[in-house]
Amino acid sequence: MRHEDRGFHPDVKRLLDGELRGGLDDLAPALREEAQEALRLLAEVDPTAPVVSDALEARVMAAVRAKRGRRRELVVRLRPWMLAPALAAAAVLVLLVGRVLQAPTAQAPAVASLTVRFVLVAPDAQRVSVAGTFNQWDPSATPLVRTAEAGVWAATLTLPAGEHQYAFVVDGDQWVADPAAPAIPDGFGGGRRNSVLTL
Amino acid sequence: MNYRLAMLAMLALVPAALAGQSIDERLGARVPRETAALVRELAARAAARGLPADPIVQKAIEGSVKAVTADRVAGALREVLAQLELSAAALRGAGMDPPDTIIVAAGAFAINAGLDASQVRELAGAGPATGAAVTLRVAGTLAALGVPAAEVVQLVATALGAGQAPADLLALPAQVQAAVARGETPAQAAVGLARAAAALGRRGPPPTRPTPPPRPQRP
Amino acid sequence: MDRGEASDGAIVRAVLAGDVERYAELVRKYRDRYARFAARMLGSSDAAEDAIQDAFVRAYDQLAQCNEPDKFVGWFFLILRNRCFAERRKSKDRISLDAAQAIEAVERTDRDMETAERRRTLQLALLELTPEQREVFVLKHIEGMSYGEIAERLGTSVPSLKMRMHRAYDRLREQLRDRT
Repeated sequence: MRHEDRGFHPDVKRLLDGELRGGLDDLAPALREEAQEALRLLAEVDPTAPVVSDALEARVMAAVRAKRGRRRELVVRLRPWMLAPALAAAAVLVLLVGRVLQAPTAQAPAVASLTVRFVLVAPDAQRVSVAGTFNQWDPSATPLVRTAEAGVWAATLTLPAGEHQYAFVVDGDQWVADPAAPAIPDGFGGGRRNSVLTL
Repeated sequence: MNYRLAMLAMLALVPAALAGQSIDERLGARVPRETAALVRELAARAAARGLPADPIVQKAIEGSVKAVTADRVAGALREVLAQLELSAAALRGAGMDPPDTIIVAAGAFAINAGLDASQVRELAGAGPATGAAVTLRVAGTLAALGVPAAEVVQLVATALGAGQAPADLLALPAQVQAAVARGETPAQAAVGLARAAAALGRRGPPPTRPTPPPRPQRP
Repeated sequence: MDRGEASDGAIVRAVLAGDVERYAELVRKYRDRYARFAARMLGSSDAAEDAIQDAFVRAYDQLAQCNEPDKFVGWFFLILRNRCFAERRKSKDRISLDAAQAIEAVERTDRDMETAERRRTLQLALLELTPEQREVFVLKHIEGMSYGEIAERLGTSVPSLKMRMHRAYDRLREQLRDRT
């Protein structure tokens, strides 16, 4: 370790971990001062707990009620889907078509594209689309169509290799992250997340 | 930083169909004027520092489509630029100077997903430089699945050390998802996959790459 | 369960079956449980409250994926934890600002100004650690969990936790030396 000279002695760390039964007395006298410094550090933790406002419950339930019906069914229905052996618990199927993937460099952008099938279980929806970095977040660019299976919507796209973020748009204004895909916050606050597809 | 080189690097990142479009054309009429002005300002700053501007433009478009208020869009745009800068600093720490803008974008994605700069630096140096973008994208995706950052680094570094090419890493997120569907936590899944990768590896861990000394900060 | 209170598992199953309003029982029951953890991880009570709120909403979204409904609170903790880790993406300046607001609140109620100052210094130093380092320190030395309990909660090993903690000790020492 580069900063070994600035770190605590291993025995002092064991003291902080609570592993020296005799406490300070178990330490070599030369280490006592360092141990006192370390113990002072621990003593400075703030044990007080903040008070969470009563309004939190109301805010959570307001958000939860807004999702009722459509969202909940979507999550529950996805489970049998996830167990189908070929699907590996993802609502997005990546069908490898074409050439072997090459990592992009500054001189040669990625040569491969891959065909991807987006699937969403949304029985109550009137219309569903997918919007993301690959179509300039345009909710009208890539509509999903109803499949033969009730409540299941799908669309197939060919996408270049790389990292793509997306979300489903249900009935024109409900932004729904893919429930079974990796997700990151969209950066705008408000708890909304984007799904991530890495090809 | 050579502006022309930065522009060429940016164009390589932007899909071919859009390469000819200016930022204003891409933003279109949906983005309010103040947001468009901020995008231009931040994009110019990014280009001057050798960073890709596309992630900033993409985030502005996303914000306008999602009808996000202007102040929140502004906050998100600044954060994107901050992540790009942090990624570039981490990559310079891994010996890439200047860092490829595609790798910078991948590193920023990993940071957004929860890795810290030192972890980006470590992963960027763990495999061949040409595969660093894929490595960092996979790392970010694993973090986005809920694998804690330390376990992400362990899994990716172990897989690379066991002889896997960066392109082979692309299968890891789906494998983690499959394990989670069986009831494991993302962390458990990652640790299990790391063990499996180490067992299958024929070459064993690579010799430690010496980390170059930190370069002086650009003004 | 003998007391006549519904178990967490029963509430989760009721919510999944359609009785959405019962989710409020889980919110009420656990809203304070991890407030201190979130506040120490994020540096302010405002940020902690936001994180707890977001985590409850996300837990609702993913409720069908909670494999052990009777252990809802442990699963909820992991969601909150992820949310706290995600929060660090804000710029360092913003984090320091939130920490300052939290400090003002402490100073108003705490008569011992010196104690408040020392707590503030440690909290700011904690924010300089990586989230993983900060988390193990908070869980062990503020929440009072043992390494074994933390390992089980987070699905990681005791040796790797100790490694993280020992690095945290060293970094805290550096930070505190620089600040005093």
